Parts: sequence; structure tokens; C-alpha cells
Amino acid sequence: MQPAAVYTRDRCVTGIHGLDEILRGGIPYGSTVLAAGTCGSGKTTLGMEFLVRGALAGEACAHFTATEPSVKLLENIRQYAFFDMNMVDSGLINVFDMDVLYSWLGLEKASFELDDVHALIKAIVDIVNTIGVTRLVIDSVTTLCYKIKSEQLIRDFLFTLGKKLATLGCTTILISEITSATENAHWSSFGVEEAIADGIIVMGDVERMGHLLRFLQVVKMRGTHHSRAKHAIELTPLGVMLTPMLKWGAQSDKTARWGS
Amino acid sequence: MMMFELDQRIAEQLTEVALNSAVQVRCGNSNAFMVTASTIIPLMQMFEMGGVYISANRGAVEIIQAFESIGMDVSNIQFIDLVSSGILGGTDVPYSNIHFVDSPIMLESVLLRTLYILRTTTSARNFVFLDSVNALAIYNEDRILAEYLHIFINTFRQREILSVVLNVPDQTPPLVLSNLDLYCTDLIDRGQVVIH
Repeated sequence: MQPAAVYTRDRCVTGIHGLDEILRGGIPYGSTVLAAGTCGSGKTTLGMEFLVRGALAGEACAHFTATEPSVKLLENIRQYAFFDMNMVDSGLINVFDMDVLYSWLGLEKASFELDDVHALIKAIVDIVNTIGVTRLVIDSVTTLCYKIKSEQLIRDFLFTLGKKLATLGCTTILISEITSATENAHWSSFGVEEAIADGIIVMGDVERMGHLLRFLQVVKMRGTHHSRAKHAIELTPLGVMLTPMLKWGAQSDKTARWGS
Repeated sequence: MMMFELDQRIAEQLTEVALNSAVQVRCGNSNAFMVTASTIIPLMQMFEMGGVYISANRGAVEIIQAFESIGMDVSNIQFIDLVSSGILGGTDVPYSNIHFVDSPIMLESVLLRTLYILRTTTSARNFVFLDSVNALAIYNEDRILAEYLHIFINTFRQREILSVVLNVPDQTPPLVLSNLDLYCTDLIDRGQVVIH
């Protein structure tokens, strides 16, 4: 008897060394993925490489930056061999400063209300639609959501944005800043992002005898089987590289002692 | 230039190994460099291989200078130095073919750095030389080291990259040593007699 055919969703092949293997082929198209990580864990590099690999395949990509000016972001990313400034010049990679976007929309205020959130969603969706963006990174959704005071409004913002981007066939990475990536941590700053996202990639550090080893772990990804193991990562000039973390060294010294 | 006699039997033995082999090279304290040179030089000259030399035993500069003292140019080999970052000023070196990893406990970083170098190399055939298991055992607990060597050897075997693992048996934990016997396909034994 033949096994029943299994339906598999089309994938956005990230092109990131090892990540597509973990995801059994890539991120399901149109997904909104939360990349939650501690400072220095490689979130921005991962997001940027995701866009560059898309641009190399001829896809239009957009990056909304709220944590550092776009000029600084591009200067930092130029050290990577996979990045080529021509991708920006030719319009394949489009970098937007959130501050400039707020200014365009007249949203230079400390906190956003419902109408402001809707205006922001419309602006992002219009940009995606106009340029034909298929890969989007918002860095970081934490900084953006600090301006939205109500948890319900944050939920509505992320849900509506994710739904509209999915309709446009845009695969999105929302970068989230967290203070701890241990087993007891939340994967998001406000506690609502993780419930709405289709996928969660956690990035952090394992402390081993006073040294920090970066790790990446796919906790959730709707629409695909995937590894849930911790993977060690290195940020090389060729981009992010991953390998499964050693089982006897996957927990920080603080929480587990070897040989005990 | 220093007069130096290579162990030709090692070169003969290396003619019989395939690219996806894992060779365990046992040596003693006194003959470690002679055994190392007798292994590396045929790989470079006879088999025209490029490679990565992982130095956990001594700083890469010292190893490069030891090769230079016997007239060997090792500028085509990339060195991953696990020692010098632990010494203040140790990473200020005059060689461009040395890469640094912060510590010998960052085993996954060593593997990823090696894979990165191999992705950038132009050599069609490559080796990875690990110097040495006993040096890694100073910093790493037996279980993690045994696991690492298992992953390390299989990673390179899968990619048809010759892995050569140097160790001084009487300074290597018995668990690790017995695992090496299991994982490695070939043995070059120039070590001391070990009684467990």
C-alpha cells in the first residue's frame, strides 16, 4: 500500500547555512516569525542575511529599523562578504528608519492610540505592496511596541499586520529583544507576540566556563516539521553558520554542572 | 635550517587512507613534532592537499615557526589557534593564516570556524589536523570531549575531508581514548606504551 501523500507548504528558503535544514526546507511562505534574542545574540545579522539571501534570488526585501539608524546598520553589515551595497542601490534591499516613517505619518508622539496603530499598519503594508516586498524584517518589534501602551492593542497590531502581510505573500521576521533566553524565559517582551507569531526562533548565549557561546533554537514553526534542538551559531564573514550544540554542553554552567 | 628526519613509514601508511577517513595519530611528548611533521608534510607535498590545523596544544605562531625551521612553508594551511586568546597580547601575530577561537572549551565554535575556512578554501582536497585531543582534555570534561570527537570526525567524513587526530595516549582520558578507537578508521601509532 502506498503511503498517503503529505501536503507540504511552499517555503521561503532563507539561504542561511543550516537554518533551512532545521526547518526542513525553509520558512512556510507568508509566515510571521518572531526572532527573539538577547543583546549580541546575532538577531540583526540573521535578519539582514535573510534579506540579502532573498535579494540574491531576485526578491524585493525591506528592513524597518527602529534600534539603529539605517546608515549605521548598513555600515555594520558591510563587513559581511554576503552583502553588496548594489543590492540597496538597485532597490532589492530597502531600508527604512522607523523615526522617518513616524515623521511622515505625523506619529512623533510618546504613545500610539488605535488610529495611530492603524496608520502605521497601513504605511507598512502600502510599502510592501508598492515595492512588491516578499521578505520583510522589523528590527525591533519591541522598540516599536513600547509606544503601544495597551496589550490588546499590541495584539491587534501584530495580528492585523501579520495577516495583511501574509495575504501579500510576504514572509516576515519580527525581531524581539529579550533579557534572558533560558528555559523559564518568555520569548517576547510583552508576552503577546509569541502567541500571534507563526514561528519563534530564540537566540541567546550558553555560558560555558566564563565564555559565551551563541545559540539558536526554533521553538515553534507552524506548517512545517522542524528540529527543536539548540544549535551553536557563529557569525562569519560568509554569514550565520550553525551546528547542533553538544548535548553535554547545551545548558549554561549556572543551571547545570557537568559531571554532577 | 635545522636538520630533520621524517618518519617515512607514516607517509607510506597515509597512501592507504581515503579522503573520508579519520586517522588517529598517537605520539609521545618527545616525538610529537616529528610525528606531526611526518604526517602534515606528505599530505601537503605528496597528496597536494590544503588544510586546517587546529592548535590546542601550543600557539599557532610557535607551530608555524617550528615548520619554518625545517624549511617547510605552511602558508597554505590555515591555523585555528585555541591557545593564544588566553594570553594577553597573544593574538597580535605576523601571520595572516591564523584564526583565533577564544578558548578550547568553545568546541562548537572550533567546528564552525573550521567549516567556514573549508568553505573559503580553493584546495580541492583538504585535511583537518587536530593537535591534540590530550590538550583539549585539559579544559573539557570526558563526556563532552567524547561527544565532540564523535561529531567532529563524522562531520568531516561526510564531507570527504580527511581528519587527523593527534593524541598522547597517556595524557588522554580512557573514555575518550576508547571512543577514538571506535570512531577512527586508521591508526598511526608512534605513541608510548600505555598500561591502563
